[in-house]
Amino acid sequence: MPPLAGQRAPGPAGTEASLIARAQAGDVGAFERLSGAYADRLFMLLLRLLGDRGEAEDVAQEVMLRAWRGIGRFRGQSSYFTWLYRIAVNEANRVLEKRGRRPAAVPIGADELQLPAPAADDPARQAENSELRRALGRALAGLPPALRTAIVLRDVEGLSTQQAAEIAGVSQAAFKSRLHQARLRVRAAIGDETLVTTGG
Amino acid sequence: MPSRSDDHQWSQQHLSHYVEGELGPRARRRLDRHALDCVDCGRGIRAMRALVHAVQGLDGLAGVRAPATIFDRVRLAAAGGSPSSPHA
Repeated sequence: MPPLAGQRAPGPAGTEASLIARAQAGDVGAFERLSGAYADRLFMLLLRLLGDRGEAEDVAQEVMLRAWRGIGRFRGQSSYFTWLYRIAVNEANRVLEKRGRRPAAVPIGADELQLPAPAADDPARQAENSELRRALGRALAGLPPALRTAIVLRDVEGLSTQQAAEIAGVSQAAFKSRLHQARLRVRAAIGDETLVTTGG
Repeated sequence: MPSRSDDHQWSQQHLSHYVEGELGPRARRRLDRHALDCVDCGRGIRAMRALVHAVQGLDGLAGVRAPATIFDRVRLAAAGGSPSSPHA
């Protein structure tokens, strides 16, 4: 897998392959170093899929526990990142299904999480962007989990179609179909005029 | 030869692939030709491009960090040994 922005890959003293081998041998420190490199990205993914910080924290702990329990079965057929992300997506969707509800909104930007907003030259443009972010968050939250997962993995996270399909556990053709459906629904929810004038 | 209605339906189903540049040259030309005369599909392309751009460009979660507790359950499981260890 190519390096991704914001991802801290294990350093030369602990290459991913050796950390995996050590973790498989029961070295919890190696497991933490291995998985810790992806923890921030994984947590952001869970925030976007679940829409709730407390729930994302709980599920993130569960994902790490499942990965620890399952690492003995990891055979390297996919990258470790893909394998871990797949556990996270499955766990998030399982929780949503179990609770029988969808998030009220999907956090897209800093304002939803009370983080400092990036500086903008034009206040009017900043307001438009905030409004669009909120509309996107609501539209994403209204999608069924499989469609929301598709758009979050591909468009928000910026993963390739191949990686995203692997994480979602479907063929690339099926993934593209889900992504198209997701985009159509979000487009319909926001409206073409708003998108073209604000998002273009 | 496909009818205009066939072209329209086909174009609407391929807008996502079109904006991602995933259509082959022949398919791309087919959609380009149709969109020249079809207001709906022309607007659809612009809206789909704007949507993808908006979603990609609004990633404001860069400051978010995973909670310090993220490995708590792993540590508990590891301290307790099986059945949670990788060899259980």
